Amino acid sequence: MIEFRNVSLAYNSKAVLDNVSFSARFYERVAVLGGSGQGKTTILRLMLGLARPDSGSIIIDGQDITELEESQLRESRMKFSIVFQEGALFDSMSVRENVAFSLREYSRLTEKEIESKVRELLRRLGIEEAIDLMPEELSGGMQRRVAIARSLAGCSPRMVLYDEATTGLDPLTAESICRLIRELSEGEPPDRTGLIIVTHKVSDAAKVAERFIYLRRGAIAFDGDMQHLMRAEDRELRIFTEELHRME
Amino acid sequence: MGFAMNMKDNLARLQDFYLLSLKAPLGLFRRPFYGREIVEQMDYMGPGSLFIVLLVSLFIGMALSLQISAELAAMGLKMYTGKIVGMAIVREIGPVSVALVFAGRAGSGMASELGSMVLGHQVDILRVHGVNPVKKLVTPRVTAAVLMLPVLTVIGDGVSLLGGYYISVFASHQSGPFYWSQIRDVMSFKNLFSGLSKPFIFGYIIACVSCYTGLSARGGARGLRRSTTTAVVVSMILVIITDFLLTRVLMYVLGMRI
Repeated sequence: MIEFRNVSLAYNSKAVLDNVSFSARFYERVAVLGGSGQGKTTILRLMLGLARPDSGSIIIDGQDITELEESQLRESRMKFSIVFQEGALFDSMSVRENVAFSLREYSRLTEKEIESKVRELLRRLGIEEAIDLMPEELSGGMQRRVAIARSLAGCSPRMVLYDEATTGLDPLTAESICRLIRELSEGEPPDRTGLIIVTHKVSDAAKVAERFIYLRRGAIAFDGDMQHLMRAEDRELRIFTEELHRME
Repeated sequence: MGFAMNMKDNLARLQDFYLLSLKAPLGLFRRPFYGREIVEQMDYMGPGSLFIVLLVSLFIGMALSLQISAELAAMGLKMYTGKIVGMAIVREIGPVSVALVFAGRAGSGMASELGSMVLGHQVDILRVHGVNPVKKLVTPRVTAAVLMLPVLTVIGDGVSLLGGYYISVFASHQSGPFYWSQIRDVMSFKNLFSGLSKPFIFGYIIACVSCYTGLSARGGARGLRRSTTTAVVVSMILVIITDFLLTRVLMYVLGMRI
């Protein structure tokens, strides 16, 4: 269980999150929607302990991670993996080295076993032929796939966090990434791997998520399922969901 | 209120800088070890900076020799050009000029590379995977800078002395063997120790400042530009101030009197 209790955070005196409270189970598929600079990515960073709130607490499986030191956060972080916007691949490493990164850091696998695991993951994501390429040689869609492969390589996360995973991609590639995200979260609760996708593209969110949280000026303005989202009266939210209404 | 907040922020940044400067060398003694990264950084900082160090050192040596021989010629003492050029280069100008070039080349490279890693979330990825960014990114850079700057300084000194030789012999028409005998006289333990102990400290300062400013980068391309500029400017200022302080300390330790 992930719980945000009255979390507030400001950067340079500007409130990014204002008294945010919500909870989610690890198997849930959640989309965090909102415009640019509304605190969406900050929620993911707080969840991983990459940033600390000014006030409030973040409880992961009963443990308040805001009180933990950097060295004590590992256990909590192991429950998640994250795919950042544009992949955040290490540009000095090839695709093989990027995916093998966490295996080399922490597992005791031999080089042969690492190679086999890397190939298996890349094959599963349909990019095995890119194994020797450098990140700058990859298209945007391939970069996201490599980032997803890397996020799955080191551990078996209970929840995958996607930060603007489809932003900047053409519609076909975005569609294939959404399909992949959905496939990785197949299964029945509570055994399946959950996901939180942070995006401003509500059509992509609708393809992968079942619960929608809408952030406005750092506060939660909406939290509900697709039916409630489509019926929401809020003017700003209607602008966001207009695309879905048209598709309907 | 604003002043107090600024003061508090600046003190917090200074504390973070000191902590980073302490943790970086300690990372060498704790697992995991990042030998490959150290070698990669040494290659980037050493051979990568060599051409510019050679170029700058050669012209500094020639310019210094021109100036000094012109002054000494007026007093009929130009045969001592080698001695003064040698002493100035080995003790002072060599270490400082190579360190300034190093700050401009390797320091800006470190700051911009780490800054773009922060802004591109690569540092976040390291932390999520449980990798200590200071050990993985800062320790190898500090180690490489501390090892490579003295090597570059020795090479730079040698090339500056060659530049001085060229001007002394072919422009100032002095005896080549006499120039080298003057240089040999300058190569005493005190002068060498004074000149070659500085680059270790300069390398440490440049790497710590550059890594810290790189890791503190915020706010997109403008933030990256700011952190890179800050790294170079602060490194250069600290090198010059530290040079004065070190010179004073070394003169005292080595028993040199004014």
